[in-house]
Amino acid sequence: MPGLTETAIRPKSQPGSLGTFDSRSGISRARHETIAGANRRRDMRRFHGYQGYLVAALAVLAALGLSLPAQRLFPYPFLFLFFAAVMASAWFGGTGAGLFSVLLSTGLVDYFFVPPVHSLAINSTDSTYFLAFVACSLVASSVSSAKKRDEEALKDARDRLEMRVEERTAELQSSNRELAEREHQLQLLTEVIPQQIWSGSATGAIDYGNSQLMNYTGCELKDMNTERFLQTLHPHDRARFEKAWQQALATGASLSGEWRFRRSDGEYRTFFTRAVPLFTPEGKVARWYATNTDIEDHKNAEQALLQTQNELAHLSRSLTMGELTASIAHELNQPLAAVVSYGSACGEWLSASPPNVEEARIAAGKVVQDGTRAGLVIRRIRALFEKTLPAKQPVQMNDLIHEIQELVRSEARQRKIAVEIHLLDNLPMVVGDRVQMQQVVLNLMMNGIDALRDLSSADKRLIVRTSQNGTGHVVVQVEDNGPGLAPDADKKIFEPFFTTKPQGLGMGLAISRSIVESHGGKLNAVPHAGSGAIFQMILPVPQGHENE
Amino acid sequence: MSNDPIIYVVDDDPSVRDAVQTLLKSVGLRSLTFESPAKFMELKRPGTPCCLLLDVALPGSNGLDFQDQLAKAGIQIPIVFITAHGDIPMTSRAIKAGAVEFLTKPFQKDDLIMAINQALERDRAYLVQNAEISELRARFQKLTPREKEVMDLVVRGLMNKEVAAELGLSEVTVKIHRGHAMQKMEADSFAELVRMADKLKSPFPQLAQHEQFTA
Repeated sequence: MPGLTETAIRPKSQPGSLGTFDSRSGISRARHETIAGANRRRDMRRFHGYQGYLVAALAVLAALGLSLPAQRLFPYPFLFLFFAAVMASAWFGGTGAGLFSVLLSTGLVDYFFVPPVHSLAINSTDSTYFLAFVACSLVASSVSSAKKRDEEALKDARDRLEMRVEERTAELQSSNRELAEREHQLQLLTEVIPQQIWSGSATGAIDYGNSQLMNYTGCELKDMNTERFLQTLHPHDRARFEKAWQQALATGASLSGEWRFRRSDGEYRTFFTRAVPLFTPEGKVARWYATNTDIEDHKNAEQALLQTQNELAHLSRSLTMGELTASIAHELNQPLAAVVSYGSACGEWLSASPPNVEEARIAAGKVVQDGTRAGLVIRRIRALFEKTLPAKQPVQMNDLIHEIQELVRSEARQRKIAVEIHLLDNLPMVVGDRVQMQQVVLNLMMNGIDALRDLSSADKRLIVRTSQNGTGHVVVQVEDNGPGLAPDADKKIFEPFFTTKPQGLGMGLAISRSIVESHGGKLNAVPHAGSGAIFQMILPVPQGHENE
Repeated sequence: MSNDPIIYVVDDDPSVRDAVQTLLKSVGLRSLTFESPAKFMELKRPGTPCCLLLDVALPGSNGLDFQDQLAKAGIQIPIVFITAHGDIPMTSRAIKAGAVEFLTKPFQKDDLIMAINQALERDRAYLVQNAEISELRARFQKLTPREKEVMDLVVRGLMNKEVAAELGLSEVTVKIHRGHAMQKMEADSFAELVRMADKLKSPFPQLAQHEQFTA
């Protein structure tokens, strides 16, 4: 909107009232003032009613007063001043006043000037002269009043025209004010909203930014151009933005994305940008308008939340692993026992006479194999203890279940629990954080083992299954034949700090659920008729991998 | 069938099974491995000296419980326990129930071999003893009921006269029965007859089950 600031006329808005402008009342007030002014001017030129007659009387008397002394100078009746009085009366008082002055003059002239003087009687010789006077007076009166009427009509027309012009001017001014007010409101809007606004031509030349954007980038509006705009983008984001911008320009589709913009002090903050095209009635792009919304704080909060969740997950994992440490340490003795035995055998083969090198070689190979196996167990434990940021990668749940089974096998064995694993062949990969997925499987299996802990039954079973449901999702079920869940417990168990174990923190299932949900999956307890509990984790399979 | 000793290994960890078998093979010992006690029980064992190398922690079962089961079933086989989770109560229970040794994984070759040799030694002694007792039992079966009664009483230390009074026989008749018994039992002296009677009474389950010597 480059034109806006140039054409914007700022009316003196009253403090405290930004948008109250009543154009209608403004116009009517202006019209009223115009009419009143015209009337006032007309009143100054014309006398109405008795005033006209008074004027006529005064004019005629004045003519009489002047003519009487002047009469002595002339041998004939001096009547010219009466003509003047009649003309003036008709001029100022209208036709009525003119006729009245004619009548009055006629009487006075007859009385004072036409012989016999001081009598209304007229000599027959003077009657023609007198009648000529009357006729002249009448003509003078009518000419004067007609002339006056014409002039007044002209004046009236002029006044009316003037009034119209004034009215139109007032209307124009008020609509100009209205427009200016509206533009001002719009201007205020762009300045007041917290978003940065920028716009560009149909070809993508960026030429406007609101004061938020200008203040943020430290750029002057007059210096604003595409080059300058791109410079404020983070160097790592610039190419990505340009690509998206070019694509939007090419297709006319709106653009949205997140990028970092440099603040005038050099700090980069992340903004969400959305740019939309404005179309002409013909359907062509007229201009591009865009907003930048600062999402840095939001992102930071999100990041902090993720980190907290991650730390909580790590804590919970460490606690679970702590519970398992003793039995895992024992479990490590299995491969170690194999290593020591193979090693001893190797020594025996070599010290025999003759040495049995072939058998020794095989035994040495087995040492390496079982040593590696022990190392793997340790590495997996370390991975579960480590605090790492989640990293998504393809995960084969079948493999992962095998690994966790190795960790809990010893614990299960000590508790005389038989662990059965039924895995679906060719299970598709899911995408997720490996350690977090392990944590969920570990939690579910440890829960099952805990449920079976105090059971005296000889047949204690923990069953882990993988399958694929109708929608192609990967399903992992962990079932135990323990006492099962209380009817009201199936909702509570996923709440934080809910635990039935004296040593438990009560975070395992809550964290497991939040992990599964952050992977776009679901974790719940499956209602079923038999005894024991079934927990089920459903994970989405990335597009195009459903039948891998 | 070779008469060499044989070691039965029961462990659910295939790697451990194979490692132990390899180790035993390297010192010239024959072994058979089983993943569970049930699989072991399916085997029809030859009468050669043997011992059982038994893992304590087995899935869904327990080596110590299996030891009890074997004892209840009257199966006589020396047991060497191997475990990854050994603790003192477990060890003492196993030893009290007659285990030869309780080895903790990872065990040393010498400890294992020593324990196995000890177990085989014990099994050999069992076998000899079993053979001897079988022979004595066979001889004992040849005695008449009266001779058995007389023998039972005299080996308890009763005088001929007292035996005669107890059974309502004459002292001469008792002497004749006693002579027949010694002859049939192939005892060279009265002292030997007493030892034989002790052996017959010894609490070997196999014997205890189908012979009430003390009628």
